[in-house]
Amino acid sequence: MSTTTETEIPLRQRVAENPQPALIWAAVGAVLIGVELGAILQVVGAVAGVVVNLLPGDPGASAVQSLQAAFDAIPTLVSRDVIPNQGYWNGTGYENTFLGLSPAVAWAIRVAFVYAYAFAVLAWAWNGYKRFRRHYRRVDWTPRDDVVNRFRGHSWGKFGLIIVITFVVMAVFAPALGPTTMERNILQPYDYEVSYWSEDTQSVETVLVGEANLGSGSQGAGDENVAPMTYDDFGRFHPFGTATNGKDLFTQVVFGARISLTIAVVAMGIAGLIGLGLAMITAYYKGLADLATVLVSDSIQALPVIMVLILMLVIFQNTWVRELYDGAVLIILIFSIVYWPFIWRSIRGPALQVSEQDWIDAAKSFGQTPTQVMRKHMAPYVFSYMLIYASLSLGGIIISVAGLSYLGLGITAPTPEWGRLIANGQQYVASPSWHISLVPGLLITLVVTGLNAFGDGIRDAIDPQADTGDEAAATGGGA
Amino acid sequence: MSTTSTEEEQTAKASGDTLLEVNDLKTYYEDGGLLGSNPVKAVDGVSFDIQRGETLGLVGESGCGKSTLGRTLMRLEEATAGEVKLNGTDITTLSGSDLKQFRKDVQMVFQDPDSSLNERMTVGEIVREPLDVHDWKTPSERRERVRELLETVGLQEQHYYRYPHQFSGGQRQRIGIARALALEPEFIILDEPVSALDVSVQAKILNLLEDLQNEFGLTYLFIAHDLAVVRHICDRVAVMYLGNMMEIGPADEMFDQPANPYTHALLSSIPEPDPTIERDRITLRGTPPSPRDPPAGCPFSTRCPVKIRPAAYRDMDPELWERIEVFREVLRERSRADPSLSDRVRKLLGRESHRAGMDEIIPELFGELDVPSDVMTHIREAADYAENDDEDAARSYLREEFGSVCDHERPDQLSVGNRGRLSLCHRHEAEYEEPATVFETLVQ
Repeated sequence: MSTTTETEIPLRQRVAENPQPALIWAAVGAVLIGVELGAILQVVGAVAGVVVNLLPGDPGASAVQSLQAAFDAIPTLVSRDVIPNQGYWNGTGYENTFLGLSPAVAWAIRVAFVYAYAFAVLAWAWNGYKRFRRHYRRVDWTPRDDVVNRFRGHSWGKFGLIIVITFVVMAVFAPALGPTTMERNILQPYDYEVSYWSEDTQSVETVLVGEANLGSGSQGAGDENVAPMTYDDFGRFHPFGTATNGKDLFTQVVFGARISLTIAVVAMGIAGLIGLGLAMITAYYKGLADLATVLVSDSIQALPVIMVLILMLVIFQNTWVRELYDGAVLIILIFSIVYWPFIWRSIRGPALQVSEQDWIDAAKSFGQTPTQVMRKHMAPYVFSYMLIYASLSLGGIIISVAGLSYLGLGITAPTPEWGRLIANGQQYVASPSWHISLVPGLLITLVVTGLNAFGDGIRDAIDPQADTGDEAAATGGGA
Repeated sequence: MSTTSTEEEQTAKASGDTLLEVNDLKTYYEDGGLLGSNPVKAVDGVSFDIQRGETLGLVGESGCGKSTLGRTLMRLEEATAGEVKLNGTDITTLSGSDLKQFRKDVQMVFQDPDSSLNERMTVGEIVREPLDVHDWKTPSERRERVRELLETVGLQEQHYYRYPHQFSGGQRQRIGIARALALEPEFIILDEPVSALDVSVQAKILNLLEDLQNEFGLTYLFIAHDLAVVRHICDRVAVMYLGNMMEIGPADEMFDQPANPYTHALLSSIPEPDPTIERDRITLRGTPPSPRDPPAGCPFSTRCPVKIRPAAYRDMDPELWERIEVFREVLRERSRADPSLSDRVRKLLGRESHRAGMDEIIPELFGELDVPSDVMTHIREAADYAENDDEDAARSYLREEFGSVCDHERPDQLSVGNRGRLSLCHRHEAEYEEPATVFETLVQ
C-alpha cells in the first residue's frame, strides 16, 4: 500500500517517530524468517545453479556448487531433519524417528508443523499490513480498505482463499511434506536402501528402495494393495497409499501440486500481462488498435485450446523446448498465447468504460503522457477485474494440464503430475486400489472449486453492487 | 463571416487585449465508416474572440456543440478546419513541446465532479499531478503549492490525504478547480461547472470562481445551459445553436434586448420566480434538426417563429403557414428515418409501405383550415412525391414554393447596436423587419 500513499515524511522517518509497533513486528518476522533462512538460501542457490547452467561455458559452476553445499548445511526448522519419520522398527521400538514415535505419527506432526508455520507467516504478514494501516499510513481510509473489508465478510471467498493457501503451501513445502523424498523414492530408487523389520528373520534387514517399491505396488488385488494411511511390507508409511508401481502417492501428489501451480500461475501471469497491456492500449487509442486486437484475439479464440496444445506438444516432441522443466515451459508458453485473448476480452469492457471517464480527459488536458494515463488512471480500475478472471481461469489451466498428462502428453514421466496419476489408476477404480485415481481427482476438484470461490470472493469485494449495508462504516470519517 | 466585421473591430483585435481568437472553427465527427460518411457537424464554422480578463458565457441547448467547442479549444478534440489563436499562436496545429506549453496555459473544469477526479488517488495526488507532469520546481515545493491551492479554493490542508469519495459534490468541484489552477493558467474553460451541484452550493462555487478571477486575472469561457447563472457571472454571452454561433454580445444588453430570434426564444424560457407575472413565452416547435444534415440556409430556419416568408405568402393566415412548416418538418423527419426491412420488402413486392400514409397526414394537418386552392395544389404535389417514398423531392418542391431567403442562404453575422454585438439573422438586413418588431406582433 505504501506505493499508493502519498508520503510527505518518508515512511522511514514515520517509523522512527513511533518505532514500537514496527520493531515488534520486525522481531517476530526475524524469528519466523530466520528459522527458515537455510531453505530460502537453498532456493537462491538452486536458482543460481539454473542460471549458471543456462550460461554458455558454465562460468563459476564450481563456486555455485560449493555455495549450494554451504547453504544445504544450514539447518532449518521446518525440515525432514528436525522431525524425521523415515525410521524402522527394531523389534522393541522405532529407531531414527522423531522422539521414537511411529513413522505415521512423526509424519503427521511434521505436516501439522509445516502448516502451522505457513499460517504463522501469513498471519504475521497480515498483522504487518494492519500495523501499517493503524500506525504509519498517512491516509485514514482508502478505497481499497473497503475491498479488503468486504472480502473479510465473504465466507465463500474466505473458504476459497484457505483452499488456495493450502494448495500453495503444499506446492512450496513439497519436499518437507512427503513421507519420503522425490530423489529417494521416485527418481533414484535403486541408489538408496531402506531398513525394515523382517517378520521372517525377526531382525532388521535392508533392501534397495526400488526393490521395496516392486513389492508394495497397488495393483487392485487384496495382497497387492497399499491403501491410504497404512504401512507397506517394508515398514514405510503411505498417507495416500502407493501408486501402481509401489511409489508413494502422497509424495507424487505434493510434487505434482508444485508443477501444476507453477504452470498455472506463470502462464496466467504472462497471459494477464499481455491482456492487461493490450486492454490499456485498445481502450486508450480505440479505433484501429482495437479492431486489430479483436481480429487477432478472435482468431486465437476460434482455435480449440486442447487441440492446439496436443498439436504443439507433438510438433515439438523431440526438441529442446520440450525438455525444459519436463515440458512445463512449452505448456506455459502455449497457455499464455491461448489465454490472453480471454483475459483481454474480459477486461476490455471495464477498460473502455474507465477510458470514458472525465478524469482521463482531465489528465490529457494538462498534458499527462499516454503511458502514465494508462498506468495511473486506467490500470488500477481494470487490474482487479483481471484478478477475478485470472483466478477463475487458473482452475481451467490446472484441469487442462492434468488432462494432457492423462492423455500421455504434457509433463513427461517420471516427474509426477496429477493427470498422469489418474490415468495410471484408472483401471483399478473399481478395485481395492481405488485411491490411485480418486485422491488426485478429488484434489483437482477441490483446488478448482477453491480457486473459483476465491475469484467469486474478489469479484464481490470489488463490485460495490455486492455491498450489503454498512456503507457508513465503510466510508469512514467522510468530510 | 468576418467579412461583416467592421474595420474598427479588426484593428481592435490586432492591437487590443485579445487572448483568444477563433476563426471559422469547424469540428466534425466522422463515424469511422470506411466509405465517405456524412459527418456530425458539431461545430460548424464559429468565429469569436475573448478579451483578456473577461468571462465569455457560451449557452445553448444540449447537443448544440458548446461542449465540443470547449473541448476543441482544449485540444481534446481535433479541429476539422479553422484556427484558434491563443496570444496570436494557432494552437490547432501545435505538437511536441509547444503543445505541452499550451497545456500549461489552458485548463479545464469539468461538469461532473464525480467522474472528473480519479477515486483511487488522494486529493493531494490529484492536485499535484499537473505539477508533476510539468516538472514544476521541487517535490517539496509542489506539496507546499498543493496546500496553498487547497486553502485558496476553500478546502483545508488536512484534506491532502483524503480521497474524493470522502467529499461532497461542491467540495469535489473545489478540488477540480484547485487542479485547474495548479499550473497558473491564463485561460480556464469551465464546462458547466455548477450544473451537477445543488442550488445552494452553486452560488458558493460561482462566487469562488469570481474571486479567483479577480485574484489571478483569469480569463474564463463559461459553458452553461443555465441562463440565470450566465447572466450572473458573464461579461459577454455567446449563443450557440446547431454548431453555429447565433448571437454574441455584452451580457446585459443581450438579456435586455435579444436580437436574434433564437436568443429571444431561449430567454423566454427562463422561468420567472414571480408566478403572478404574465409572460408571453415563445415555445419553439419541434426539435433541432440533425447535425448530420443541417438546413441549407439559416440553421434556425426550421423552427424560427419569425422566419421571413416569400413575398407571395406574406399575408397568409399564420395558422396555415405554421401547418405548412410542420408539414415540411414531418417530411424532413421521414427522410431521416431509414426504411425498415419490412418496408423494403413491401416496396419490392409493390405493396404500399407503412411510411406512406399521406392521406392521413394531410387531413390531420390541414383538415380544419380553409386552405386556398393554389396552396393545396402544392401540398398535394409534395404529398404525391412523399407517397412514392421520395421525401427529398417533396422537400425540395416545398422549399422552392414556400421557402424564402432563410431557407436558401446562410445569413451572415450582422452587427447589431454599437457595442460589438453580432447576430446571425437575415432580419437584421435593412429590407426586412427586425426580429424584435415581428415578435411584438406575434405575441399580440
